[in-house]
Amino acid sequence: MTASRRLIRFLLPSIAALCAMFALTAVIFILGVLLVRGLGSIDWAFLTSDTRSAGAEGGILYQILGTLILIATALAVAAPPALAIGLTRVVFLRSRPRAARVVDALLHALNGIPSIVFGILGLLIFLKFFDWGKSWLAGGILLGVMILPTLTVSLVERLAAVPRKYIEAAVGLGLTREQIITAVWLPQSWSGLLTGSLLGLARAAGETAPILFVTAVFSGATLPTGIRDNPVLALPYHVFVLAQDSFNDDARANLWGAALVLVLLVACFNLAALPLRLNLHEESRHV
Amino acid sequence: MAPCAKLYRPQWILWSCAFGVAVTLATLLAALLMLVWQSLPVFAHSGVGLLTGTDWYYPEQIFGALAMIYGTAVVSLVALVLAVPLALGAAVLSAEYLPPGPRLAVKSGIEMLAGVPSVVYGLIGVLFLREWVYKGLEPFDPISGDSLLTAGLLLAVMILPTITTLCDDALRSVPAAQRAAARGLGLTRAEAVLHIALPQAAPGILAAALLGLGRALGETVAVFLVVGRQDGQLPGNPFSLTAWISPGQTLTSKLGGPETHIAFGDPLHWSAMIGLALLLLLFVGVCLAAAWGLERMMRRSTDPVAEATP
Amino acid sequence: MKTNAATLGLVLAVAFSTSALAQQALRITGSTTINPVVSEAAETLRKENGLAITIDTAGGSTGGVNALGDGRADVGMSSRSLNDSDREKFPGVDFRPVSIGRDAVSMVVHRDVWEGGLRALSAEQIRGIYEGSIKNWKEVGGPDLRIVFFNREPGRGEWEVLTKFLYPGEKTAPRTNHAMVGSNEETRQKTATTRGAITFLSTPWADSKSVFALGIRNDADSVVEATGPNIANGSYPMSRPLFVITNGEPSGAAKVLIDYLLSDAGQALVAKHGYLKLADLE
Repeated sequence: MTASRRLIRFLLPSIAALCAMFALTAVIFILGVLLVRGLGSIDWAFLTSDTRSAGAEGGILYQILGTLILIATALAVAAPPALAIGLTRVVFLRSRPRAARVVDALLHALNGIPSIVFGILGLLIFLKFFDWGKSWLAGGILLGVMILPTLTVSLVERLAAVPRKYIEAAVGLGLTREQIITAVWLPQSWSGLLTGSLLGLARAAGETAPILFVTAVFSGATLPTGIRDNPVLALPYHVFVLAQDSFNDDARANLWGAALVLVLLVACFNLAALPLRLNLHEESRHV
Repeated sequence: MAPCAKLYRPQWILWSCAFGVAVTLATLLAALLMLVWQSLPVFAHSGVGLLTGTDWYYPEQIFGALAMIYGTAVVSLVALVLAVPLALGAAVLSAEYLPPGPRLAVKSGIEMLAGVPSVVYGLIGVLFLREWVYKGLEPFDPISGDSLLTAGLLLAVMILPTITTLCDDALRSVPAAQRAAARGLGLTRAEAVLHIALPQAAPGILAAALLGLGRALGETVAVFLVVGRQDGQLPGNPFSLTAWISPGQTLTSKLGGPETHIAFGDPLHWSAMIGLALLLLLFVGVCLAAAWGLERMMRRSTDPVAEATP
Repeated sequence: MKTNAATLGLVLAVAFSTSALAQQALRITGSTTINPVVSEAAETLRKENGLAITIDTAGGSTGGVNALGDGRADVGMSSRSLNDSDREKFPGVDFRPVSIGRDAVSMVVHRDVWEGGLRALSAEQIRGIYEGSIKNWKEVGGPDLRIVFFNREPGRGEWEVLTKFLYPGEKTAPRTNHAMVGSNEETRQKTATTRGAITFLSTPWADSKSVFALGIRNDADSVVEATGPNIANGSYPMSRPLFVITNGEPSGAAKVLIDYLLSDAGQALVAKHGYLKLADLE
C-alpha cells in the first residue's frame, strides 16, 4: 500500500473523531455550565414560590406552571389532527403516492416555518384581528400548530413499521376495514403518538419566539381565568428577558436556575421518548 | 362491533384527516397571504426599495432591508461553513467507523445539543461567547463582542445536531453491500467512505446542509442576543475581516426586537415589519423546497411508507 | 364518546364565559426605567390588596404608550413626555400622564475613558459622536481610544430625551447607524465590557464601578453634574419626568396603583431606585 493510502486510512477517522469530539465537548460544556451555575439556585422553595423583585428574589413557580399550561394546550391542539393525518397517510394513501407526497410536503413546509414568523402571525391573528390581548390560548394554539408535524411524522414512522403480515392476517380473517383500523392500526399508533407527543412537548417547552408577542408577560400573571387578556408567565420568556435585563447579581442566580429547570424539563421529555424510538428501530430491523 | 368502532369508520378518519390537512394548509396559506396583504403598504411606499435599500430608520419612514438580508446571509454562511464539515466528520465517524453501541452513544450525545432551547444558547452566547470573541479577536480590534461572527458561531453549534443526524442517515442509506464489495476489491475503509459512500450520499448531505440553512435563517432569540443589532451595516468590502467582526442586524433579530412592539400603532411601520417577515419566509421557503427536492432525488421517488413496510 | 366530548365542550364554554366576570388583571407595560418602582409597588399591592397586576417591558416607553393607545394595556409607563406624534397616532385616546418623579439621563462611559481623564462633554461634542464625525476619544480630551457609541432604539425614553437635547425643535434626530442596546441593564452591561464605549443611561444606573457618568459642559463652559439639586432646578439639561399614563381618568385598580405611587410608600420606592421624588422637585 502506498504511503498516501496509508495516510488517508489514518487521517479520515482521526479527523472524523475530532469533529465528533468537538460536538460532544460543546454538549458537555453547555450542560456542565448550566449544572454548575444553576444547580445551586434550585431547591424546593425555588420551584414553588413566586418571583419577586423582578427576578432578583423568589422562585419560578408561575413560570413553570405557565409553561406546562402552554405545552398541554399545544398537545391538545396538535394530537387529534396528527392522529387523523397519520392514520390517513399510512392506511389510505399508501396506494396513492401523489396524494401522499402532497401531505408529506405540507408537513415538511409547516415544520420549516421559522418560529418568529409564527409569533408575527399570532400577533396578526390573535392580537390584531381577534383582539384577544395577551392570551395563553393564543400561545397554546401557535405552539400546537408548530408541533403538529413532529407528532405526525413520529406517528407515520411508527405505523409504517407495522409488519405487512399483520394486515394480511387481518384481511385473511375477514375483518372489515374499520375493524382493521381498530384492531391493528390504532393499537400500534399509540406508541408513535406518544413518542411524537413527548418530542413535541419538548420542542414546545423551549420555544420563545411564538409566545413573545401574544402570550407571555414578565411578571404578575398567575393562572389564567379566561381567554382574553389572560397572559401567563413562561420559562423561556423569563430567561430571555433576564438574559438582557438582569437587574443585579441576585437575578443572575435566578436566571441560571430558571435556565437549568427549562433544560431539565425539555430533557425529561426527550429522554422519555428515547426508549420508544429505540424500540422502533429494533422492530424495523427485524422485519 | 363495539360502539367506539363506529368512530373509526374510514369516513370519520378520512374526514378528520381532511380537517387536519385543512388546518395545515390553512396555516400555510394564511401565513403567506396575510403576510403579503399586511405588507402591501410598505411595498406601495418603498417598492422594491424594501429589498435594496440599505438604511432602516423608522422615524423618517426609511425602510431598507438590504443590510438585514446581508446580515442574515453572513450569519447563516458562517454557521454553515463551520457546521457542515464538523457535522459531516461526526457523521462519518458514527456511520462508518463505530459499532452500534458507541454509535448510539455518540449520536445521542450530539442530539442532546438539539434539545437545548435556543434561549439557553442565547444565554451562553451572552455570558460566554461574547467575551471569548471579544478577547480572542483583540488583535483585530473588534468594536464589541457582539457581531455577525459571534451569531454565526452560536448558530453553527445550534444547527450541528440537525445536519449530523441527517448526514448520518444519508450515509447509512448507502447499501452495505457496496461497502463490502469495495473492501473485497481491496479498498481500505477510508477509501470506501471517500469514493463509494460519500458520493452517493451527496444529495442527502446537501439536503442536510440546506435544512440546516433553513434552521439558521429562522433562528431568532439566540441571534438577537449576540448579533449587536446595528442597522445599516453594509460593508464597503465584504471580504475584509472587519465586515465579519462588526455588529450587524438580521431579519430575525429585527423582528424579535422591540421594534415590533413599537410598530404596532403605525400602519406603515407595521407593514414594514410584516414585509421583513415575508422576506424571511420566502428565503426559508426556497431553502426547504431545494432540500425537499434533493431528498426526493435521494430516495429515487419511492414512497418511504410503502418502502419501509415489507 | 361523542356525548362525552360535547359535555366537556359545554362545561368549558360555561367555565370561560363565567370567568369573564372574574377579575381582569391590571395590565401595565412600558419603560424599563420605571419598571423597578412599579414592580415593587405591584408586589405590595398584590399581597395587601389582592390586586391582579401584570407587567411587561417590551418596547420601552414608546411600547408602553402604544400599548395604552391600542387598548392592550391599562397603564403605560413612560420615561419621556408625550409628544405630538403620540397624540397623532392615537387620536381617540385621552392620555392622562401622572408624574411620579423625575430622573436624569447621563452620558455614561467605559472605565478606560473615565480613567483616561474625560469628565464632561458639551452638546456639540455629543452631537459629533452621535453623528459619527468624532471617532476617537482624544478629539474630545480623552485617551487615544476608538469611540464605540451604543445607541438605544428610537422610542426608548432615554433616546427621546437625548435627541431633544441635541436637536431641539427638530421633529426627529438625523439617521445614524450604531449598535443598539435595549434595556437599562443591557446598556450598562455592554458599556461596561466594551473598550471605549459611551452610551446614555438613566443616571442612577451609572454605578461608578462598571460605568461612569459624565457631566454636561454647558454654554458657559462649566460642568453640570446630574445631581439632585441640578435636576430639580433645571440646570442639568437632560432630565425627564417619570410618568404613569392612563386612558381617561384613572379608576379601579389603576387608581389604586397611582394613589400608592404618589403616597409616601410609593415615593420611597422612587427614591430607593435612585430617582427624584416629587417632593425633591419643589
